[in-house]
Amino acid sequence: MTHSRPPLILRCVVHVVLYALAITMLLPFLWMVSTSLKTRGEAIAADTVSLIPGGAPWEWQWGNYAAAWEKANLGDFYWNSIFVAVVVTVLSVLHNALAGFAFAKLRFRGRQALFLALLTTMMLPFQVYFIFAYVLCGWLGYIDHYQALIVPFLASAFGIFYMRQAVAGIPDELLEAGRIDGFTDFELFWHIVAPAIRPAIAALGIFTFMASWNNFFWPLIVIDSNDMYTLPLAVAALAGEYYTDSWPEQMAAATIITVPMLIVFLIFQRAFVEGLTMTGVKG
Amino acid sequence: MSNRAGTRKPPGSASSGSAWAFIAFPLLIVFLFTALPTVVGAGLSLFEWTGSGLPRFIGLQNYAAAFGEAAFWQALRNTLIFAILTVPLTVVLAFLIAVALEAPWVRGRTLLRTIFFLPTIVSIVAIGFIWRWVLDPTPAGLLNHVLIAVGIPHATLPDWLGNTPWGLATIVFVSIWRGVGFSIVLYLAALTNVPRSLYDAAAVDGAGAFQTMWHVTRPGVQPMSFFLLITGMIGALQVFDLVLVMIGTNQQAWTDVLNLYLYREFAANRLGYAAALGVVVLLLTIAVTALQFVLHRDPTSMAATTRAGGRNRPIAATASRGAGAGTS
Repeated sequence: MTHSRPPLILRCVVHVVLYALAITMLLPFLWMVSTSLKTRGEAIAADTVSLIPGGAPWEWQWGNYAAAWEKANLGDFYWNSIFVAVVVTVLSVLHNALAGFAFAKLRFRGRQALFLALLTTMMLPFQVYFIFAYVLCGWLGYIDHYQALIVPFLASAFGIFYMRQAVAGIPDELLEAGRIDGFTDFELFWHIVAPAIRPAIAALGIFTFMASWNNFFWPLIVIDSNDMYTLPLAVAALAGEYYTDSWPEQMAAATIITVPMLIVFLIFQRAFVEGLTMTGVKG
Repeated sequence: MSNRAGTRKPPGSASSGSAWAFIAFPLLIVFLFTALPTVVGAGLSLFEWTGSGLPRFIGLQNYAAAFGEAAFWQALRNTLIFAILTVPLTVVLAFLIAVALEAPWVRGRTLLRTIFFLPTIVSIVAIGFIWRWVLDPTPAGLLNHVLIAVGIPHATLPDWLGNTPWGLATIVFVSIWRGVGFSIVLYLAALTNVPRSLYDAAAVDGAGAFQTMWHVTRPGVQPMSFFLLITGMIGALQVFDLVLVMIGTNQQAWTDVLNLYLYREFAANRLGYAAALGVVVLLLTIAVTALQFVLHRDPTSMAATTRAGGRNRPIAATASRGAGAGTS
């Protein structure tokens, strides 16, 4: 397929189909943005489908963003989401990398058995364990506190597995050289292992950040009070009982929640895609 | 399984007490919030419990009650239909798109790849907003608006998110829309590992584009296809948040899925019953995983395995839920 150029007609058809599909992927997002800039009237009138909001740019309804932001108090929830995502990302990547290093390069009793047990936990469906995890968080007094959003995510079986695969690729000679220099195990990790697996760390970091930022179900059950909402909860509530039935305002909120991930994705796209192909994580 | 690298003992590496310092806390977290709750959850399915007070042992009554409910069978049926439609369609579509994206004569490949991947990174809440807007049942809904504009009367249009097979079909469609980019990216990685020489041989034999795709590319990425099918099935059995954000938690015969049912029971403080439903999902997951080993026992079929397609991958991918406990 890659060597001989197929006939012109086939190449045309492939282009048409590919771009038609790509537009299908993109169109809902374009609609989201364009609707967020319309008046309520425009959003439900004959204008619905037009991708260009009515009026010239200076008449676009940027006020929808302000309205969504104010009504749902998104400023506070932005902070909640960022705080949780950053803490979880930094700490869990560190913990997972240390554990991955231990499983890949250090010898200790029960290593194989523990690692196998860890792998097994990865196939467990969330639905079977969230019930008692929730009860446990209640017993620990975490419900409605940052702890509920952070502590269960401070390490993950997948993260450990991923880091172990990355560390396993480091030549043992490198570690031996460090040992001869008198490095402790932690110094080995810090000065040799961590720099060597930087791409994997970046990829895992992005995955973790994205998972935390987009996490919806777990915050939904462990957070009750309004001021502890994360961004997805706040935005979901915006559509629900509380704030607005205005489509443009809802689309503005959807845009607000999407843009940060989009920026992160576009900046780190390479690491992101490479990380994905390395282990097949499903976000 | 994936311990091949681990069994190679690093020569001369000292046995290490610090290893325990490195693994103790991470393992504690996984134990407390995943392993232990699974075991307790399985046990809990034999009890009646509201979450406070003492659980009451009732044997298999939760299961018996579930099996006696029409709602359970509806949810199970919808979950299975969803999985059986979504997963193969996603994998086939992703394969075709990935093969096309690999062709050097296609313009804008990087841009296309980014676009296809875009829905994967977007918050499920935003996805729900967008699609409820597009599929709104009134004439103002975007899709209806377009269909009416091309001459289809509104009265004949279904309620896209309503309690009909259309509602389920909509969930399938949006799920494919959301997930296909993920599979495309993995296929792209697998495609780079299909030996060039096979394509050369096919070209010498005068094979056309479609013949090459069928006889060279398809078998070349077979482990990846298999991986995507299995992990896709496991993920699809857990379908939940997409339905929640598009349709809500209310019980509809055609759009209810097992985990939505479970969530309602959980929210109503019937924890034992919810746990029993969780065990059903777990058993289905185990069945799919077992299928993997039955169908995939021939090690030579892994010959074309890519860096991204090893035997351990199915487990790796299911882990995303562990990584983000109910991410998506």
